[in-house]
Amino acid sequence: MDIKINNKATSTTATNLQVLSEEMNLPEKGVAIAINNKMIPRTEWVQTTIEEGADIVIIKAACGG
Amino acid sequence: MVQFISHFTEQYSYLDSIRLALTGGCRWIQLRIKDASDHEVRPIAIEALRMCRQAGATFSIDDRVELVKELGADGVHLGKNDMPIREARQRLGKAFIIGGTANTFEEVKAHHEASANYIGCGPFRFTTTKKNLSPVLGLEGYRHIVNKMKAAGIQLPIVAIGGITANDIPALMQTGVTGIALSGTILHAANPTEEMKRIINITNHE
Repeated sequence: MDIKINNKATSTTATNLQVLSEEMNLPEKGVAIAINNKMIPRTEWVQTTIEEGADIVIIKAACGG
Repeated sequence: MVQFISHFTEQYSYLDSIRLALTGGCRWIQLRIKDASDHEVRPIAIEALRMCRQAGATFSIDDRVELVKELGADGVHLGKNDMPIREARQRLGKAFIIGGTANTFEEVKAHHEASANYIGCGPFRFTTTKKNLSPVLGLEGYRHIVNKMKAAGIQLPIVAIGGITANDIPALMQTGVTGIALSGTILHAANPTEEMKRIINITNHE
């Protein structure tokens, strides 16, 4: 499905935030994620589903992505 | 996304302010204590970190790079008179979020090149929370910076800061900023927790 990550159109097969974070090799700490402006605590990544068109902002230490 | 920056009032301590923000649903906290030593701030930071971990919130500390490293906080926010971003990155490595304060596109660009992970951009309007304020940006200032960033291909999250209240948020988010940072408007509300809930709700619908 097509989503936006940090304003960039991206395609992913990840259905929840946890899978997306693994796909993107996000580190264990130092990461903040918001979907449609809402910050999602790491503890809720597994149960947070990603829907078509989701606007995701990832603030993380390592640049890129 | 909403970041809460700790502050104190006659009624609330720094830790009270963080507790209120977390209870109101905020999941990004910045501990900002000026005019104090790391030694004085350490116990407060340890407790703030514990509260944030419990809530699953991201925890940054203003200015204190060594304390961030020592305690394993998520990141550091660097203002104009703090350690340069490049130097902080050398000390912290890649595993920490580094935010930098900017007032102009040129500063945003410089922070981007110095490896900042987000920008605290302001002030939106005059605020008494911070001393030595830069010129206010207003809505037009944010539009200008966001457009210049797009043109330059800089994809860095921009957090608007400085005297922002609930009523400003819809128009501010329209400028293309990624999120907002708040302090005074929460603590001076009649019910800080409810005010945080209201603001998060507004932000999530813009």
